[in-house]
Amino acid sequence: MGTMNILVGQEQGNVPVTVLKIEGDLDASTFKDLQDKAAELINEGTANILLDMGQVEYMGSAGFRAIHAIANMLNTEQKEGMYKSEHIKLLNPRGEVARVIKTLGFDSFLEIHEDRAVAIASF
Amino acid sequence: MKLEQKTKILRSCQFLAGAQEEILLELANESGLLEIPGGNTVVTKGDAGSTMYFIASGKARVHDGDAILAYLTEGEVFGEMAVLDSDVRSATVTTETDSKLISLERDALWRTVSQSPAALKSIIASVLQRERGIVHEVTARTEQLLAYEKELEIGRRIQADFLPEYVPEIENWEIASYFEAAREVAGDFYDVFELKQGNYLAIVIGDVCDKGVGAALFMTLFRSLIRATCQYGMLSQEADLDDASPEHTIEVLQKSIELTNSYIATTHSKSSMFASVFFGVLDTDSGELSYVNGGHESPVIFRSGGEYDVLDVTGGVLGLFPWAKFSIASAQLNPGDFIFSYTDGVNEAKNESGDQFTEERIFEMKDFSWNDGNEFLDEILRRIHAFRGDAAQSDDITMLALRYLVV
Repeated sequence: MGTMNILVGQEQGNVPVTVLKIEGDLDASTFKDLQDKAAELINEGTANILLDMGQVEYMGSAGFRAIHAIANMLNTEQKEGMYKSEHIKLLNPRGEVARVIKTLGFDSFLEIHEDRAVAIASF
Repeated sequence: MKLEQKTKILRSCQFLAGAQEEILLELANESGLLEIPGGNTVVTKGDAGSTMYFIASGKARVHDGDAILAYLTEGEVFGEMAVLDSDVRSATVTTETDSKLISLERDALWRTVSQSPAALKSIIASVLQRERGIVHEVTARTEQLLAYEKELEIGRRIQADFLPEYVPEIENWEIASYFEAAREVAGDFYDVFELKQGNYLAIVIGDVCDKGVGAALFMTLFRSLIRATCQYGMLSQEADLDDASPEHTIEVLQKSIELTNSYIATTHSKSSMFASVFFGVLDTDSGELSYVNGGHESPVIFRSGGEYDVLDVTGGVLGLFPWAKFSIASAQLNPGDFIFSYTDGVNEAKNESGDQFTEERIFEMKDFSWNDGNEFLDEILRRIHAFRGDAAQSDDITMLALRYLVV
């Protein structure tokens, strides 16, 4: 079981974007912390979340389920032709995490960015 | 607290029921008095301890972490076990309410009660009584566990019905499968069934996230929805056609996956449960395979000439986002070709250092010569076991393979 830290940052693009920088392992022992942190921020008014995955070493299915749960919390009405969530996006997944995202086809649900500024401007 | 009051409390305890007045008085004289606010831990499991406690007032909780073993109130004792056998504390005791405790040291207890066989007798009786209580509790819990185990066994048997009992026999095709759950119930599934019209064979392999009962429940849901939507879709075709058209087959495949995805993503959204699914429809006459790969490990086609191709994902996992789209892709199988599909129990099998078996070791099977599909699957298993060494199987292992026979 891994350990994980979350650093919260606020950015202003076209809209306010909350950046959650995750450090460590996103697995069955830590996903709840991410989900709870996101729920707290959403309660306080956060509408757009960028998950900075650059420092995530491992992500298991619990991590993907947490991202889905957060996407649900941020849920807005589906627009015609919209096939990716507009309110939660991923930044810079690396190594094994990037491989699993590709294997599970999560890149077909979520926008994945490599550049922080571009990611923030995309919301 | 006065000596008489302490004596009165000690007298009321079953622990010292047989002790004469002078013994009680002597013990009271040797004892201390503690006032502990509610919520404080008095003894901690695993610690050494030489003090036992009589509850004069208040309430305490005997526990092991979150598991509560007992509640104790006025007239009851704790900490006596470590005092009697000099071992470490066997459980933690925390006050529930503000409590008054009379404390007694091991030396004082032994020194005093050793003068009184009657006092010793009641101490022994009270320890045995507690022991009997524990035996009773353990027996009750064991019975409960056995009942759960039986339920799980029923679940396992019912779940086995959600896997094909036998695979269809198709002219010019050989089908081999393997399924091994890591626990009693599994999240993996596979399915092979003929479609009602035309020479089409549906092949499905999937893996529900997570493990245990939750995954097993969703496995039955995914498997049933895929089979039902697919067969219903084929049946809905106009009855006067002898064969299903390839276009219709592809449409059925796509609809089936989309309906399954949107049903679970909508109805069971709160569970955030998903499955990776490879779903192919094979034209057994021509060898053309149309497929959707929803976030599943890429099946490998080992060509008769020694080359291999992988069938990459065409969409994400099923069950999360109702609006998700899945593309159809196709591949041509020729006589002598062999398609091997599997779940991540194969490529992510771990050895004791935590290294994974990986796809590369699956690709290496291209150089293995074999006569029938089961021999191929057995060899993969042999290699997984050899790689894994003494590390335990951590995930379900499922494999489904088809060979286009050369005739």
